[in-house]
Amino acid sequence: MMRLEIRYLTTFEYPQQVRDSHNVLRACPTTDDFQALLSYTLTTDPAARVLSHIDYWGTRLDVFGIRHPHDRLSVIADSTVETYPRPAPEPDASTDPYRDDAYRTEHREYLADSPHTIAGSSLGDRARQLVGDRAQAVAAVEALIDEVRRLLAYEPGTTYVGMNLDEVVKQGSGVCQDFAHTLISMARSAGIPARYVSGYLYAADQSLGRPPEEAEIEVQTHAWAEVAIPGWGWWAVDPTNREPVGEHHVKIGHGRDYDDVAPLQGVYHGPANHRLGVSVRISREQMSEYQSQQ
Amino acid sequence: MHAPVFSEAYADDAPRPHYRELVERLEKLGTEELERRSRLVESTFRTLGITFAVTGREEGLERTWPMDLVPRIIPAAEWATIEAGLKQRVRALNLFLEDLYVGPQAALAEGVAPRWLVESADGYLRQAQGIEAPEGARCVVAGIDLIRDSEGVYRVLEDNLRVPSGISYVLENRVAMTRALPTAFANHDVRPVNHYGAMLLTALRSIAPPASSDPTVVVLTPGIANSAYFEHAFLARQMGVELVEGRDLVVEDHVLYMRTTRGLHRVDVVYSRVGDEFLDPVVFRADSLLGVPGLLTAYRAKNLTIANAVGNGAADDKAVYAYVPDMIRFFLAEEPILPNVTTYLPWNPQDMTLILDRLDELVVKPVAEAGGYGIVIGADADRQTLDRLRRTLLDNPRGYIAQETIQLSTHLSFVDGKLAERHIDLRPFVLTGSQMEVVPGGLTRVALPEGSLIVNSSQGGGSKDTWVLEV
Amino acid sequence: MLSRHAEDLYWTGRYIERAEDTARLLDVTYHGMLEWSDKDVPQAQRDLLEVLFLDETFDGDLSDTAAVTEFLVLDTDNPGSITAAVERARLNARGLRDRISSELWEAINTFYLDLRARDLRADIERQPYQVYRWVRNACQTVTGVAAETMPHDDGYRFLVMGRLLERAEMTCRLLDVRYHRLVDSGGAATAFNRWAALLKSVSAYEAYLKEYRAAVDPIKMLSFLLLSPNFPRSVRYCLRGTEEQLAELLEPDRLTDAQRLLGMVGAKVEYCDIDSLVNADLGGFLDELQRDISQVGVAIDRHFFHHATDLDLHFYISR
Repeated sequence: MMRLEIRYLTTFEYPQQVRDSHNVLRACPTTDDFQALLSYTLTTDPAARVLSHIDYWGTRLDVFGIRHPHDRLSVIADSTVETYPRPAPEPDASTDPYRDDAYRTEHREYLADSPHTIAGSSLGDRARQLVGDRAQAVAAVEALIDEVRRLLAYEPGTTYVGMNLDEVVKQGSGVCQDFAHTLISMARSAGIPARYVSGYLYAADQSLGRPPEEAEIEVQTHAWAEVAIPGWGWWAVDPTNREPVGEHHVKIGHGRDYDDVAPLQGVYHGPANHRLGVSVRISREQMSEYQSQQ
Repeated sequence: MHAPVFSEAYADDAPRPHYRELVERLEKLGTEELERRSRLVESTFRTLGITFAVTGREEGLERTWPMDLVPRIIPAAEWATIEAGLKQRVRALNLFLEDLYVGPQAALAEGVAPRWLVESADGYLRQAQGIEAPEGARCVVAGIDLIRDSEGVYRVLEDNLRVPSGISYVLENRVAMTRALPTAFANHDVRPVNHYGAMLLTALRSIAPPASSDPTVVVLTPGIANSAYFEHAFLARQMGVELVEGRDLVVEDHVLYMRTTRGLHRVDVVYSRVGDEFLDPVVFRADSLLGVPGLLTAYRAKNLTIANAVGNGAADDKAVYAYVPDMIRFFLAEEPILPNVTTYLPWNPQDMTLILDRLDELVVKPVAEAGGYGIVIGADADRQTLDRLRRTLLDNPRGYIAQETIQLSTHLSFVDGKLAERHIDLRPFVLTGSQMEVVPGGLTRVALPEGSLIVNSSQGGGSKDTWVLEV
Repeated sequence: MLSRHAEDLYWTGRYIERAEDTARLLDVTYHGMLEWSDKDVPQAQRDLLEVLFLDETFDGDLSDTAAVTEFLVLDTDNPGSITAAVERARLNARGLRDRISSELWEAINTFYLDLRARDLRADIERQPYQVYRWVRNACQTVTGVAAETMPHDDGYRFLVMGRLLERAEMTCRLLDVRYHRLVDSGGAATAFNRWAALLKSVSAYEAYLKEYRAAVDPIKMLSFLLLSPNFPRSVRYCLRGTEEQLAELLEPDRLTDAQRLLGMVGAKVEYCDIDSLVNADLGGFLDELQRDISQVGVAIDRHFFHHATDLDLHFYISR
């Protein structure tokens, strides 16, 4: 078990006054079998009335607007979360259901293309070739993950939101979102239901994924994927780094792709250009004396 | 040769009893006088600017609304059945949508309609999940299209649960009719329709958020360029409320206001004639200025009500339509009063086999089109069209439905200077507020070319005043 | 009422006034030029454009009277042209059909349709006077129909305010541009004609003669156009009219920016010392007046129309 404190901080700076901004934040860790949210607070400056709800995907959305003129907006979401180890998937789970009509219909949502996973036929052909007639689902997925790592190098700043996947692959580099979308796109082409996960990673280097030496680190938001293993469930995999998804991964939510779980999005009235700074600070909570004595 | 056709006004070459007086009156007036009155109606509509825009053609092309001089008459007893059937259907549709968006999704869990099918409807909006509708009134204004088969049985052809239009023509037709055939009108005890504005306003006010004691209602229009702008302005006028555009509205702290010269004025109910996905650019990321940023969250916060509810398209998708009779059985434990037209769903392998087998006998429709676009009538299609259709169906089985070809009933009409039979349908309007009401009659559409089954005004259809008799 | 409707009515008032003023100026300029020498033409044209605030928009040849006329009457790319003004007024009125009387809609729509139906280019060449008179009449018809068929409610007040402010600005500019030119001009007969032309361009000729009995005196004329309490095109009259409309639109207990500004500019006009102004910096005074009046427009805009549309809507999505 690990207890993490996470501070998500976004700051907008506008060159002139803006007004009537409306924002949707998805920064709150979810609670599931592998993690539990202990506390969550959201602070905005200027202050705003925040309305929160759980969306279709099960993610918490914080919605707020600021009508009066402002030239700066900061959003701070603090959460405390406990994470637990994850079991490995059943290695013998069969790939047969991927070819079954009823199974495909049931998982239609995560098999159909979504805006960020559309790619030309070559990526899909490669995926189908790799999965081929493999009998084991886990092995099939691992083959795809290896391929994504072969296709892409981790290089921040080389891609942007909404960049076409074929372009990303052609360029051969990207960040965690691109790794996740590429894997999801390939998996779906091969008939494997796959979904996109947005979250935080407690690792100094997102591409290595090892837990850091320091207690507190400064990172970005992270993204990985979940694939359906027939008869077992959703298996979380992180194509960006070689560490299995575990106690240092904190999930915010999932969806068909980035659009369904984008951390912060919205509109405002004012000049087109703005400076947007996002940072995530994660620290591992020290066990109390009482606990360490036990 | 086509199957037998049901004639509304005649049985065995003699007028049916409820048409006897009207037919006599028409004969007495003579075609010359009818022609004169027909032209009078047309010129009145033209001067009043009662037009509709022809879509898919030259932009801005407007035509005068064509009204046929011969009214349709529905006897009281027949209407009672229709009314009960419509209420039953809309009640079930409201319950289905409520169950889907805020309920336990029992209908999906019990397999009344396949979950994947409903969730893949274009009009199913995940962003609307969890938004409550006061009184469970989601289809505040529903337009249910009815046709009459060769046996004279009324059947539901499709449900319109988003922004059904046409009610303004119902009212205008009535006004024109009382002038064109005053004696005939006076000799029949016709149920009135002109209180529609008051009916709609009552329904809208009844679903205002609980906190508002004297709710402000507005009609939201995409603007003057929209083909139904005339109707939007008409409805606002009939209700005596403001006709607003997105830019007139603003959301602050999850409350909706309109910008007035005396400051911001709170709005409680929006009767929206803007497509769901344009309502709120924040939620739908539509790069469009038709909507209002923050509108959907204000709605979710129960600070305002939007009518019709957002996401109703989950229930009026043509493939989901096939399950409405089962929804009625599931939610109301009743048998449907108004049957569907027999419908086959290509995604179902058994249905697909049957459809491909009988492609030249069936009617195939795209699930998400309106206005009669994209429909293929198998019996009228050539080899090439059918081959193409076959490939389209195999390629996208979820995107289409197939139905048995129904010979719409015909009605005596005054076309090209003489009285003749033409095919018709009926779109009644059902209002759901804290109570449910059906506008007596509705819009009868008539296919003006001889033998045509296409009643859509965009494709050469006309309309008739529809008289529901008191007794 | 909805701010958008108020704003559209206000601008309809401005556009119609603009079209009328432009027609009158063109008429007077055209007939004046008949009596002047060719070398005066470019200057007269420049003055005309300057009065209409379009001297920097026009990039054609100033000695080409036909080009200038076309620019001011027909050019739909010039938002200040008569055709553009009428088109915009009609577009506004179309969106206001539920708000204005059907007679007003018909008057504006007919004006627009007639304008489209005429071969204006040929008409101007053949009988410019008739064209300009026709435009003036059509504008006055619109104004009259509005006054007689619309309830004098908030909506009507915005229409009137738009018209009065446009007119006040126009009269100021006219004086600003023309006054010095006239004072400097030569012989008595020429001077008389030009003074008369100035008065005619605001339909003040007859009124002025009645008041001052044919004495064309620059100072009297200036004070008439600035200060007359009952001539509807004097600056003072327009400002007072605006003030009255504003008072009806606002709560009596609190003064708004628009009212404060209007009061100040009104006092500036009413208490000005014309004699010393003429000898000192009349141009500066008139410039200041124009600036003040346009500030009143800004304040009205801000108070009543408070639209967000002056700022663009932008989407963002964080990574």
